[in-house]
Amino acid sequence: MIKIDHLTKRYGDTLALDDLDFEVKPGVVTGFLGPNGSGKSTTMRIILGLDHPTGGRAIVNGHRYAELKDPVREVGALLDAKAVHPGRTARNHLRALAASNQIRRSRVDEVLDFVGIAAVANKKVGTYSLGMSQRLGIAGALLGDPGVLLFDEPVNGLDPEGIKWIREFFRALANEGRTVFVSSHLMSEMAVSVDEIIVIGRGRFITSGSVNDLTKNVGGTVLARASDLDKLSALVTSHHGVVHDANDEGITISGLTSDEVGRLAFDAGIAIFELTPQRASLEEVFMDLTADAVEYGSKKTDPARGQ
Amino acid sequence: MATTKSEWIKFRTVRSSIMGVAVTVLLTIGLGVLITTLIRTHWSQLSAIRVATFDPVSSSLRGSLFAQFAVGVIGTLFITNEYTSGSIRTTLTAVPNRFRLIAAKCIVLLITTLILGEFVCFAAFLIGQRIYLGVVPTASIDSGTVLRSVILAGLYLALLAIFAFALGLILRQSAAAISVFVSLLLIVPIIGLFFPQSWQNDFTRFEPSTLGVSMQSPFAPSNSFGAWSATFILLAYVVATLMIAMALFQRRDAGPNQ
Repeated sequence: MIKIDHLTKRYGDTLALDDLDFEVKPGVVTGFLGPNGSGKSTTMRIILGLDHPTGGRAIVNGHRYAELKDPVREVGALLDAKAVHPGRTARNHLRALAASNQIRRSRVDEVLDFVGIAAVANKKVGTYSLGMSQRLGIAGALLGDPGVLLFDEPVNGLDPEGIKWIREFFRALANEGRTVFVSSHLMSEMAVSVDEIIVIGRGRFITSGSVNDLTKNVGGTVLARASDLDKLSALVTSHHGVVHDANDEGITISGLTSDEVGRLAFDAGIAIFELTPQRASLEEVFMDLTADAVEYGSKKTDPARGQ
Repeated sequence: MATTKSEWIKFRTVRSSIMGVAVTVLLTIGLGVLITTLIRTHWSQLSAIRVATFDPVSSSLRGSLFAQFAVGVIGTLFITNEYTSGSIRTTLTAVPNRFRLIAAKCIVLLITTLILGEFVCFAAFLIGQRIYLGVVPTASIDSGTVLRSVILAGLYLALLAIFAFALGLILRQSAAAISVFVSLLLIVPIIGLFFPQSWQNDFTRFEPSTLGVSMQSPFAPSNSFGAWSATFILLAYVVATLMIAMALFQRRDAGPNQ
């Protein structure tokens, strides 16, 4: 359980995080989505006590991170796979990490084995590929068998086999009741690997919800062909829908569901030839949402947030 | 205790520490052998004043004044390595209590460099006296002031390692921290030479390397502090620098690479 409580972070004149407020629940994989520079990494660093917030706080398992006694046993984190001394071997890196949180030494070999780098554990980390470093980072995150896991762009540098592996692995961690919080700028990756999504832009909360809800509610349009398109267009507009791309072939409607359009047409006696809901891809939703982060950021009444 | 153990593993598993230790041994003992051998071979040609003021103790420990740069590098890299590699973020994630982290690092650094410093200084002293034997007057470790000089010479190296560590924690960059460390030991004394003579003495005796010479001399050199006063002044420098470094470390973000 992670609670982001009105977090604000200012670097000089730049407002990196602006009153960010959300929760990450256990038992599901939660994606953290935003364009580059939107504040994802800053948020993660504040959760881990690396950066000090200008205002607000981040709470993990009911405590500020700095108050956790053996934090590696409660929170596992992979922020930057290359943030390891290149001259140290993977095994020694993990041994030092284990020693700092009183984790038994045999656990080091277990996690090395699990992520599949046991064979190169005595090689210096500087010789590793990005994919191998990524696996070492995951090994470090798992070392303390924590209930909360944070991964910043974990898919970077992994081969297709590794990506498949990590998706199943996130799912398994969540099924065990853990809190799994994964950031990415790859929207297509998010669509297949997470349950819940939190979207931020320019340091502000934009929206959150399940992948299905987001694609259904935000970017969905309806394509309609009917006997009297002009009349249908007028009806749609009068019922707070928006008509796009009107031509002889048909009209594209947003703001109304296909059910609602069908009922309007029926009541008005218009013959419908075609009525096709067009679900936006998560990518389109994301572009739409973050196109003007400030406009959407000020709208904080999304029911999916549970407020 | 767990943090100290972790930092000890980190200290001994990187090559820079091992190299630093090797260079410290080489400089203190190697240069000690070289200097004492030169004194022995040229003893008969030395002036009466040089002979009268000759100190067999500090002359055999001179190599440590070169080794101070090696222990400085050990101390600096122990923290700046964390910043240049980015591993400081992994470290702080494991040990978010920053005071505890720095305390653990200082304990590991102080103990290793103190053992190292005492080992090389005792070795350089004993080997030096053996080289002097029969030609040059020698000193015995049985004398209280001689024993003090050798012990404080080792302590000087350990204190400089902590001083360099504190500079590294303030500057967070290896090259910058080592440059400042070397400048304080070598360049600042040169600046002192431009001062009027009356200021110069006051200035010089407060310099770290002058304090080091005082610490390793059985009798206080002219215009210098006594061994214990010098030790406490150096300790004050180290503690003050470390406190500034700690205050900055508490406030700063450990965010992306600077």
